[in-house]
Amino acid sequence: MDFVEKRLTQRAKRGDREAFAELIEIYKDKIFQLAYRMVGNRQDAEDIAQETFLRVYANLHSYDDSYKFSTWIYRIATNLCIDRGRKKRPDFSLDEETEPGQGLDWYSRLSSNERTPEDKVVTQELQETVQDALSHLQPKYRSIMILRYIEDLSLQEISDIVKLPITTIKTRIHRGREALRSKLRLM
Amino acid sequence: MECRDMICLIHEYLDGDTDELANLQLQTHIQSCVNCRQHMHELQRAIAFVQSASHIHVSSDFTARVLAQLPAPTKANLLSGWLRNHPFLTAAAVFLFLMTGSVFNSWFDRDDTLQVSSANLDKLKIDRERNVVVVPAGTNINGDLVVRNGNVDVQGHVTGNVVAIEGKVFVASTAQVVGNTESIEAIVDWIWYEVKNIGNDLLPILP
Repeated sequence: MDFVEKRLTQRAKRGDREAFAELIEIYKDKIFQLAYRMVGNRQDAEDIAQETFLRVYANLHSYDDSYKFSTWIYRIATNLCIDRGRKKRPDFSLDEETEPGQGLDWYSRLSSNERTPEDKVVTQELQETVQDALSHLQPKYRSIMILRYIEDLSLQEISDIVKLPITTIKTRIHRGREALRSKLRLM
Repeated sequence: MECRDMICLIHEYLDGDTDELANLQLQTHIQSCVNCRQHMHELQRAIAFVQSASHIHVSSDFTARVLAQLPAPTKANLLSGWLRNHPFLTAAAVFLFLMTGSVFNSWFDRDDTLQVSSANLDKLKIDRERNVVVVPAGTNINGDLVVRNGNVDVQGHVTGNVVAIEGKVFVASTAQVVGNTESIEAIVDWIWYEVKNIGNDLLPILP
């Protein structure tokens, strides 16, 4: 996997767009997922994901092969999410209608595996609660909890991404877990 | 152990940082302490909920949209990108370009007069009419003897190379040449000679 990515980044560095398109394919859902969980709405998340890839492309020449590509791209995406959060408070809800008057909320735009209607209601409720609990965390905790438990990254890799020592990451994860626990205990 | 310490241990356990002894401590404590058991259970549930957050996918035209927004690659970009990525080849190309320039220059800029270079010019006999440089028998020339636009007739002793550019080297039976004798007439020979010279000059530098 790392070898494939290394080849792709080298080709992309040389201006090979096909290689860059493959890199997008590998990372688009991961980055979108991170952004979505950070900002809580689809539109902003897609904007952030797009901006992430554009920045990656613009800075490919300064990318150092000795680091993992995933570390680099996650760092760019995390920073963009936190910057965006500073500019704009996330006041957007999944329950809001996508276009006024159509009766569709943003859940209808979330793709999910086909389930029975009852299952869907339960999943939806759970989704909402989880997203709500995440959005109540401070961004510095939220990003780390997402990287750890949704992107499923190791403590070491998270420490590389946010450029903080592992002990700091652990403290934030401990606090983040406690905060989520108090939000989700009544589920 | 206090319950407060236990909470720390629970977090270490959830990070996979506990050893067997600590695990055992935790297990025994949790079996007896309802609060801690509850606490740990809630933490594990919270993690499971977050992990279960369904994985959503970006819209299908995402890649195409990003690609459409990339700046168009210009020819200059491509060239400079290539040069940046291959510094060694770039240096080699510049070097080769300058080298061929100077070699060709020295080939085409010559005149037809007889030129001799040697450390012992006074010992040489130069016959301008026949364009021949003679190393008389019994003389000893130290170092290289290079003649342009003329022949060399070696009868004596030379302790270096004898090179005739655009000419021939005649070696008499009495002659002794410590180095090589060379006659250079075609441009290919000339370039080869120059390259060899550079090589010879560079070799002593190398360890």
